[in-house]
Amino acid sequence: MSVSATDEARVMRVEEVVTQRCNGALLSAAVPYADTIHLTIEKRALLKIVEGLVNELQARFMISVGIDKRPLTGDFAVVQLFSLDREHLYVLLESSVSEKDPTIDSITAVVTGASWSEREFRDAIGVHPEGHPDPRRLLLADDWPEGLYPLRRDFPYNYRPPRAENVQPSMREPPSGATVLPMGPFFPVLEEPAYWRLFVDGETILGCDSRLFFNHRGIEKLGDSVLTYNEIPFLAERICGICGFIHSTCYCQAVEKAAAIEVPRRARYIRTIMLELERIHSHLLWLGIAGHILGFDTMLMQTWRIREPVMWLCEQISGNRKTYGMNTIGGLRRDFPDDIKPKLLEALAEIEKQVTAVRDAVVGDTTLHVRTKGVGQLTSEWAKKICVVGPPARASGVAIDARIDHPYAAYDEIPPHIATQEEGDTWARVLVRITELLDSVRIVREALTALPEGPICAEIHESIPPDRVAVSVVEAPRGEALHFVETGGDNRPYRWRVRAPTYPNLQAVPVMVANVNIADVPITLGSLDPCFSCTERMETLDRRTGQVRVYSPAELLDLSRMTIRRGGTR
Amino acid sequence: MTTWIIKSLLLCLLNVTIALFLSPLCEGLMRKLRAALHSRIGPPITQPYWDLLKLLGKEDLRGTAGIGYECLPALTLSSTLVLATLIPMGTVPPLGFAGDMIVVIYVAAMSAVLIMLSGFASASPYAFIGSSREMMMLLSVEPVLAIALCVGEFKAKTLALSGIQNWQMRNGPSISMAIAGLAFFLALQAMAGKLPFDIAEADQEIMGGPFVEQSGPRLALFRWAIWVKQLVLVFLLVEVFFPWPHFGNYVVDLTAMLMKAVIVLVLVALVDVVNPRLRIDQALGYYVRVAFSSLAALAFAVIGK
Repeated sequence: MSVSATDEARVMRVEEVVTQRCNGALLSAAVPYADTIHLTIEKRALLKIVEGLVNELQARFMISVGIDKRPLTGDFAVVQLFSLDREHLYVLLESSVSEKDPTIDSITAVVTGASWSEREFRDAIGVHPEGHPDPRRLLLADDWPEGLYPLRRDFPYNYRPPRAENVQPSMREPPSGATVLPMGPFFPVLEEPAYWRLFVDGETILGCDSRLFFNHRGIEKLGDSVLTYNEIPFLAERICGICGFIHSTCYCQAVEKAAAIEVPRRARYIRTIMLELERIHSHLLWLGIAGHILGFDTMLMQTWRIREPVMWLCEQISGNRKTYGMNTIGGLRRDFPDDIKPKLLEALAEIEKQVTAVRDAVVGDTTLHVRTKGVGQLTSEWAKKICVVGPPARASGVAIDARIDHPYAAYDEIPPHIATQEEGDTWARVLVRITELLDSVRIVREALTALPEGPICAEIHESIPPDRVAVSVVEAPRGEALHFVETGGDNRPYRWRVRAPTYPNLQAVPVMVANVNIADVPITLGSLDPCFSCTERMETLDRRTGQVRVYSPAELLDLSRMTIRRGGTR
Repeated sequence: MTTWIIKSLLLCLLNVTIALFLSPLCEGLMRKLRAALHSRIGPPITQPYWDLLKLLGKEDLRGTAGIGYECLPALTLSSTLVLATLIPMGTVPPLGFAGDMIVVIYVAAMSAVLIMLSGFASASPYAFIGSSREMMMLLSVEPVLAIALCVGEFKAKTLALSGIQNWQMRNGPSISMAIAGLAFFLALQAMAGKLPFDIAEADQEIMGGPFVEQSGPRLALFRWAIWVKQLVLVFLLVEVFFPWPHFGNYVVDLTAMLMKAVIVLVLVALVDVVNPRLRIDQALGYYVRVAFSSLAALAFAVIGK
């Protein structure tokens, strides 16, 4: 791939910083794509180099990926991924970790937000982050046996560990004088299981601890051991019930980048339209839930009423309200019907009108102001430290947006207007989302007007080359979703790593709830628009038959009645 | 003497029946209105009756042993029914006597106290928080209620509700009683546990607060008690602060009262539907302001307005 002069200058600068710091530990540097620098380093220099990247280049930490490369190189590899947002660059820092000494320096001292991903690669492949402040389990269930690392290559995807009894998550003790108020694992306003332990003094929160990942089902393992490249988009789409298209797009883009597949312009436009439609219905959904959390059900009912036509249109476009199944490597499986255009434009006009009315009502509602202003404060410094993404980052004055920083689909031709606020409170997050919502309407409208003719899928003649690493991001409604794909030889990725936006954002919760009132915890958490199963990558799949069966409503009813008669077990 | 006793008892029975059997209907009406403003169809207006029936028919589960805990739901409902016998509905209060105003203030607080106790007894942290919130709400709302009724006492120079009512009917509307009525209306929103003051229950925060451990018949009785209290307090508002027009015919007056009560309930439901929930400290601040503002009513009463 050609690298222009300006790209060259940016790459040089990164290499310069790294070389200065690494003391000869830089093993190789490559620029596989115009937007990616892949540096292989010795692990001893990791912390120094990360310091340089973060402090001198203002690099934003994205994710760490642990890869079991023993079949290839004999060692494990840990890839720390950074983004230079202004320079539109990804920086991959790959260090190999030998099996005899499976440790690597923790970078949490420099990047607070790296905590979870380090705990995750420890759980997944067994490389220990040395000096990690909180080395408890993150991803594995509490009854999972010690010493079994599911993402190692020699670990079978269908292994079932023996049952264990009376296991408990290891939780921190509350500070003296505080009582514990549990929130979860099942709690009315958390739509998914999550266990928060709030340390309270009266009605004030002193701190909190959490146990998450109850939904973890090993999607990534399926991706690199069972499914093939073209099957994964369907699985990726099912990572999330709201922003499924985002995940399938993000995965496809990563593979397309690795295989240098040029996606037709029409497909990129249609992807943009669908992505923005998802943002519209997701933000409306969120507004409703935020209202509901505050006891304001009128807002819930009205925003969901406004949202419904979007779902119907998505159904007309794709055949489904959600989980469109439109993406495939190289483009789309389904074209955009032309007769939908006028209907969509009409619906957009109506949505715009009603959302504007909702915005005016929200802005004019003084009770909403007192419940959200100054609540769940996240300062710009903390947002950067924890590497928060999406609306929560933008509401804290961190102007990052994957659509601008790493343009994809048709966003280079239809750039979004980035909405930021400085306050960092729940109110700011409400405003950012409403502004984005209206901007999305504009983007869909412009994309529809400019929708080019042409093919919707690239013709792919060669198989996808192995051993290529590609990173792709998509700005989901909740923030930047990231897919990391290392291609493999057997028509499936060697390693597929998904990072949903809620993953970094949830790590900001302890900071946000400190010193707030109990009554403000649900809305503070809700203002992140958390999506737990996204974060935890849940999936169920019937591997016994592998067949798709269509149930009629009557059959489903019978089935559920049978289940109840049997005593509720499935 | 005997006829007076029989008359009083009959009136008691009537008041209790009205409060007990009309309160679910009023709740149903408010739900319907709420649904309409939500752009929903909503449940049928009779749904609260079915809710009660269903809950009453369920298994009685208790999280805590103890005779006191067992009796609390029934006691709560009874306390609201006692309140029903102390207030005028179309005619004089059946159990009214000189000084019943003080008793009304106490009995009105009783159900909240009992709910609080059941919350503290149920040993759930959510119930505990809910109960302490209930207590704070009670302490901040009660002064408003008391001040509003004291304005009536000051004007009519009597502590009997029927005396205040008679004075009102003789003398017509006055500024002080109008302000007191408004203050009472604002307190009503909290006493009925409606938004933005349903802080003690706050489903989304503390999962129903004091009621988190209640289910089946016990929950039914608590719910019923809340609905009865809401309706009875509305009756108190319209009968003492806005008793006009008065016809002197029991049936006609009762119908007029019910119609006025529906108007007040619609207002309560409207406030409920357009507001998010306040935080407890914000609600306390609000009622402190209301209490001080309602002192204006007393001032007007002193200068004879």
